[in-house]
Amino acid sequence: MIPGIDRDSRPWWEALSRHELVHQRCDDCGRWRWPPRAMCGECGSFAWSWQPVTGDGVVVSHIRTHHSFLPGIEAPYSTVFVALAEQDDVVLPGFWRGDSEPAIGQAVRAVFVDQEGGESLLGWR
Amino acid sequence: MRDRAAIVGVGYTPFTKDSGVSTLALALQAISAACADAGLTVADLDGVSTHRVGDSVQAAVVAQALGMHDPRFVSDQFGGGSMSHTTVAQAAMAVATGVAETVVCWRAINSRSEFRMGGTGRPPPDVVEFQYQVPYGYATPPQQFAVMARAYLERFGLGREALGQVAVRQRQSASTNERAVMRTPFTMDDYLGARWIVEPLCLLDCCLETDGAVALVVTSAERARDLPHVPALVSGAVWGGGHTLFSNHRGDLTTTAAADSSRRLWSMAGVGPDDVDVACLYDAFTPLVLVQLEDYGFCGKGEAAGFYADTSMPINPHGGHLSEGYVHGLNHVAAAVGALRAGAEVALSTGQPGYVAGSTSAVVLKADR
Repeated sequence: MIPGIDRDSRPWWEALSRHELVHQRCDDCGRWRWPPRAMCGECGSFAWSWQPVTGDGVVVSHIRTHHSFLPGIEAPYSTVFVALAEQDDVVLPGFWRGDSEPAIGQAVRAVFVDQEGGESLLGWR
Repeated sequence: MRDRAAIVGVGYTPFTKDSGVSTLALALQAISAACADAGLTVADLDGVSTHRVGDSVQAAVVAQALGMHDPRFVSDQFGGGSMSHTTVAQAAMAVATGVAETVVCWRAINSRSEFRMGGTGRPPPDVVEFQYQVPYGYATPPQQFAVMARAYLERFGLGREALGQVAVRQRQSASTNERAVMRTPFTMDDYLGARWIVEPLCLLDCCLETDGAVALVVTSAERARDLPHVPALVSGAVWGGGHTLFSNHRGDLTTTAAADSSRRLWSMAGVGPDDVDVACLYDAFTPLVLVQLEDYGFCGKGEAAGFYADTSMPINPHGGHLSEGYVHGLNHVAAAVGALRAGAEVALSTGQPGYVAGSTSAVVLKADR
């Protein structure tokens, strides 16, 4: 169960659960948009489409959580933050699925991490 | 609006781990204390200004409880530390424009006993981006600022001691502050040995969670001169923001929105970083202090660790959120006013500098002697 899915974000989450990583792209200026929203903040256009991205990116930061803040998620665990290859100010979080500890600047690729409820989340390796 | 309004009264409740009372009771106690400090009564107030994130009583309810039957100004901002200084900025604007004569600003929270930022089973605040964070177990402020800390330390080749010096010094400052919740000094070795919360942040990089309230009375500069304390003129006030972690339009996790908004702040105030006698910098986590020294122009990017080690300027002399207590920005404004009354001429006080919440705020205060 993903909390807080809204009318802007639902198609993104539904695509993710089909193992498709898509993002909004402005039909007028071509800028990639994240998180999902109705208008391009760059050119003001309301014309956009969902387009696939490669899933390639670069680690911009990573943390290791040692305190169990949320019920059902046992610490310690690592979380990475990845700038997409398509546009480096689109930053996505995700589980770390690499073989060794992540490093800033490391090239990574998205993987889909299936959840019990049928949704999928993002991992990076 | 430079120098047209002033802070003339400061009121505190005790800072505790369990107040045992409602946020409404805390607000009323702090407001009454602030009015008494200003040489005024609650009947002199005609405006109210607060900020909250679904964790405190509404401004209008407080106005009613104060007996204000026709408040001339009501400001009830959504936001945490990032919006903290807008409480004072909105009040100063209301006074400067004549909308109100005397506005009380406050923040009242039971952030230890009722609403912990890390979650106490209550739903998270109404923030659109939370849906992209919570499923990964990424939902709390120490995690958000660990993202910044990692990027900052790595970019500038710094060790943890760069952050530790802030924690150590602020605790030292708090040791002589009777209001401070944490007063026992610790060493750099203690810091380096403290348990991890979220790498690269350890327990002593993180602020306290406190029950308490702080209130500030703002009135016209003219009226302020007839009141008991040296007025703290609101020389500059700034709102800013425009990016978050996931859509920062910056490509740089080590720079905050304050890098932009601070230019407007100094311009409005007619002073610059070199004129500041005391800086109260929002310190939910140690890296914020360093980043703000850069983004408010005290030193260049990447130079804050060295600047902090060398400067004689008091920075969070009350101990800040790390050691005095966590009243979400307003105990910083109160500390700045205290420093001006004690002899300082110019003080900077800042809210959370953006990057997580998409907004920020700050004020420059000057003593009117």
